[in-house]
Amino acid sequence: MTDMEEYHVILFDSVHHALRSEKILKEIGIPHKLIPVPRHISSDCGICLRFTANLRNKIEDALTGKVEIREIRPL
Amino acid sequence: MAKIIDAKGLACPQPVLLTKKALEEEAKVTVIVDNEPAVENIKRLGKHMGCTLHTEKKEDGTFQIHLSREAGGSADVPLDVSCATGPLVIAISSDRMGRGNDELGYVLIRSFLHTILSLEPLPHTVIFYNTGVKLTVKDSEVLDDLKKIEESGVSILICGTCLNYFGISKDLSVGVISNMYDIASTMAGAGRLVVP
Repeated sequence: MTDMEEYHVILFDSVHHALRSEKILKEIGIPHKLIPVPRHISSDCGICLRFTANLRNKIEDALTGKVEIREIRPL
Repeated sequence: MAKIIDAKGLACPQPVLLTKKALEEEAKVTVIVDNEPAVENIKRLGKHMGCTLHTEKKEDGTFQIHLSREAGGSADVPLDVSCATGPLVIAISSDRMGRGNDELGYVLIRSFLHTILSLEPLPHTVIFYNTGVKLTVKDSEVLDDLKKIEESGVSILICGTCLNYFGISKDLSVGVISNMYDIASTMAGAGRLVVP
């Protein structure tokens, strides 16, 4: 059940960083999903990048130095 | 024994008014209604009054809502009634949301479709036409969300002419192929029509 999986999200200060992150992760084939920032995290009209918790290190490695990340946190 | 209210055939807001009156007198009430707006109004009332509730859909098209008022639940609540008749229909006319910037529009439409699942109540039907149909074929990035929406009981109609125009009919991965008769009558029969 995918619903039971533990997710983390990356929050960004800019939509452009979210899009750049999506592009980088698509190119190297790491599963992820752009979703609206959940209400319990922020009421901004923002998007964030969701992924399963086990991919956190891979994703951090792939994005570090290339995009500005505000925060990575459990969903 | 629950008090039984037969509210079939009654015009909005009668069913919810009868339910409220019954709940002021009894802790357990079962209401029978024959339309979804009444179900939604009664569910909202139940939640405001601190009831546990569950709804059964019967084969004859009626609904039975079983409400049980918990200790501490208040009967003194404002009425929150919507008498819009007809289902909520969402029409996806493009694989972008809004006009102006395509990259942004593509982000927005994906966010929108992801968010449909948390709407309450869920839409009755989601219709895809024009470039919107590109969201429903294999390799679409919103396929998981669309499948979940469909599994939740939402009817998903896809414009067959549009799939044909783009040459992607064989790649359809969610929903049912439909025609302009169904699409036009579904849109015309909607209580509310949302076009993002």
